Amino acid sequence: MLVYTVRRVLGAIPVLLLASVLTFVLIDLSGDPLADLRVMQPPPDPEVIQLQSERLYLDRSMPERYWLWMTGVGGNGDIGLLQGKFGPSTQSATYDIGANIAERLGVTLRLVGAAMVFALGLAILTGVVSAMRQYSKLDYTLTFVGFLALAMPTFWFAGIVQQAGVSFNELVGTQFFATVGDGTYQAQGLSPWGRFTNALAYMTLPTIVLMLTSFASWSRYQRTSMLEVLNSDYVRLARAKGLPNRVVVRRHALRTALIPLTTVVAVGMAAIIDGTVLTERVFQWRGLGEFFIQAVTANDSFALMAWLMLSGTTVILANLIADLLYGVLDPRIRYE
Amino acid sequence: MHERRKTLALAAAGASAMMVLTACSGGGSGPAEGDREITWVINSLPAAWASISGAGGSVYTVQMLSGVVPHTGVFQPDGSYEYDLDILAEEPVVINDDLDEGPFQYSFTLAEDAVWSDGTPMTGEDLRVTAMMYASPDEGYCTTCDSRGTTNADMIDTMEVDGKTITITLEEGLSDPEWMSLFDSTSAGGGFYPSHLAEENGWDVDDPDQLGEFFTWLHEARTEWSGGPWMIVEGDLENQVVKEPNPEWWGDPVQLDRIIMPFNTDEGTFVNAFNNGEFDGANPAQFSTDVVTQLEGAPNATVTIGEGNIWEHIDFNTENEWLQDVELRRAIFTAIDRDDIASRTYGEAYPEYELKNNHMFGSDSEYYVDHITPSGQGSGDTDAALEILEEAGYELDGDTLMLDGEQVGPFRLRTTDTVIRNNSVQLIQAHLAEIGVETTIEMTDNLGEMLGGQDYDIVEFGWSGFPYFTSNPEQFWHSESGSNFGGLSNEEIDELAEATGSAPNRDEAAEYANQAMEILVEEAYVLPLLADPQYFFVNDRVTNIEDNLNTSLRATYNIGEWALAE
Repeated sequence: MLVYTVRRVLGAIPVLLLASVLTFVLIDLSGDPLADLRVMQPPPDPEVIQLQSERLYLDRSMPERYWLWMTGVGGNGDIGLLQGKFGPSTQSATYDIGANIAERLGVTLRLVGAAMVFALGLAILTGVVSAMRQYSKLDYTLTFVGFLALAMPTFWFAGIVQQAGVSFNELVGTQFFATVGDGTYQAQGLSPWGRFTNALAYMTLPTIVLMLTSFASWSRYQRTSMLEVLNSDYVRLARAKGLPNRVVVRRHALRTALIPLTTVVAVGMAAIIDGTVLTERVFQWRGLGEFFIQAVTANDSFALMAWLMLSGTTVILANLIADLLYGVLDPRIRYE
Repeated sequence: MHERRKTLALAAAGASAMMVLTACSGGGSGPAEGDREITWVINSLPAAWASISGAGGSVYTVQMLSGVVPHTGVFQPDGSYEYDLDILAEEPVVINDDLDEGPFQYSFTLAEDAVWSDGTPMTGEDLRVTAMMYASPDEGYCTTCDSRGTTNADMIDTMEVDGKTITITLEEGLSDPEWMSLFDSTSAGGGFYPSHLAEENGWDVDDPDQLGEFFTWLHEARTEWSGGPWMIVEGDLENQVVKEPNPEWWGDPVQLDRIIMPFNTDEGTFVNAFNNGEFDGANPAQFSTDVVTQLEGAPNATVTIGEGNIWEHIDFNTENEWLQDVELRRAIFTAIDRDDIASRTYGEAYPEYELKNNHMFGSDSEYYVDHITPSGQGSGDTDAALEILEEAGYELDGDTLMLDGEQVGPFRLRTTDTVIRNNSVQLIQAHLAEIGVETTIEMTDNLGEMLGGQDYDIVEFGWSGFPYFTSNPEQFWHSESGSNFGGLSNEEIDELAEATGSAPNRDEAAEYANQAMEILVEEAYVLPLLADPQYFFVNDRVTNIEDNLNTSLRATYNIGEWALAE
């Protein structure tokens, strides 16, 4: 397994390299990082534009800039992915892209982690229940809810969830659900129970929004996969041998039915990361989603590249973890 | 089956208990019980901890530092100017404004009991060091200070400090009618800064490199000092700042325990968060009809809308062969119906909109003179416009305006692609079609390049203006100004613009500015439309609070006086 893991990690390097080239070229061609400066009224001194251009390495050719971005060789000490430096920012000379990402990563992981856990749990539960009660009223209801969730745009659903939170607060006369912020500051000085309720107040609504789309598609996959397994010969044999239904489902059917979901979840990481952009915006969490929006707004090409590379690496890692989990879920799979 | 029901019942009971318990605990939003606390939203992220630099100098930074950075004066909501006599011992004085007698000279004296939050007295040295940081690097005070407002400081020749007093002498032959702005709320840093902290950190302020380090430190280190009624006790530039009373404040005590200023970048969240009691109000920089309409329906909200500091106008490119004819320009301006444009763009949410009839001064200004209405420009009077054209030799051939058998135009009518401006130019196109003038609408996403390259015939865009005005005429309309995009060249306007900038006081400067505008209207070069409205909303539980559109501080201009209703 260790050899397999190392081989997969090494195999990811050319993929990441290719991703870096594509990311760099697309962002580089997408616009002028100094566009805002050039349209300022009154117009800035041409010398100011020249200085900014040099600071952002815009005075170099595209291949040269890519080399600088990757290695930092020939730069001003603020650039070089391989040295852990993401490059200068258009937002200000002192804006540290790496430090900002590190700071925001925890915020986003908190949201993504909670959303993934709940989405997975609910998807497995509803998928299994739907499969076991195929064509029942419950199955139809869960199917309807799943498709409804799939059809709802995140920004619109987020607004609805926010409004529901406010209505709940008005109904019970409290301010339990918070609609903006991640509550970090509000948690200071609170008791452990206070911190727990504070976290619950700030996390519940965005978590519901972020988990929704993933839950909906994952539950459909889980239902299909479970149906396929329940109708397979070895499950029929297990039932024929007189094993209780609970044991058949838990021990024999569910484990196998989780394998396709593992793949779907790994691929779905990209969708969750996309979802954080809108969710964090609507709920005003200063995570990586908001970092992305800020970078787009400020034409901050190096910050955008950092975000895209981080997302790409996350998806590649998620796929690696999924591959390794196959062996855990299905003992027949061995890594050589 | 029985076991499953039991499990479900337990889960339901657990969930209900959790909801009840967490509901009882009040969750995380809302002030701690008994605290007199206000949450005031700033609707974008401040880029730095000081507003002197170009990068840090946004209205968001200025508002975040309200009640913290001391300043010598501020324009009031009614347009009048008030010195801060908590900070100053007396109103500052002009020692000499007669350039024949000697150089322009003025002085400020700080209040005897004015101290920083660490107990160090405020002195003239704080003012001197601040002025040095405001000046451009060419002045030699500071190598790396990239101040966003250097005009006043660059005129300074010498500064003499005597305890609490600073006497400032301008370079020979220069006068500064807006000298009082050097350390007031409109200055680059929104006031003045504690010089003793430079020394405490080991920097020599008279060394240009080390003053640059102090400048950088002020922008990068969280502002833990204060010279006003409030001080920042925690926070960062990403989420929020928390202010508590400055224990060393010597003025009237504040009436709150805490002010929280969260940074919220999405106006779409305002209504829910406000209704949920998560914040008490805001003065957003952008106008959003949807948000305003929803807030106006909130039971506990006071919403006000007023003229902001960006004013829209229509300009000609006088280098277009047709538009060199002043009669044609007058006719076009006369045919444009400003009221139609204003009512269709802002009328729904802001029916009280006011058309701008003076390029510099709002109708509440003491210097206001209506230059536009008597001229008939912007009235949409098609008959009058056609009469002007007829007298000048133009004639209509069907729906087309002709001169000497040749079609006049068509003209490229350009602006940036916003909903408001998009609607606006479409209306202008329709108005001009009434007098046979054909236009083609072209949007741009690069306003600077379009204006700088004179890549338009008729253009709509905005200028930003504040109560300080003396440098504006020279910048906007002087024939040698890089910002006189349409290329108008008029010697009289040049002279009056120069006189405005070098007048000994504001009253005289305003007279010159108004004379320049009178000629400008005769030239039919710039037609002001209206100032973009801005809104403010606040929970009714907050008192002593109002919007102030005459300063970047907006409603926070009197943050020391905010209180909660009894």
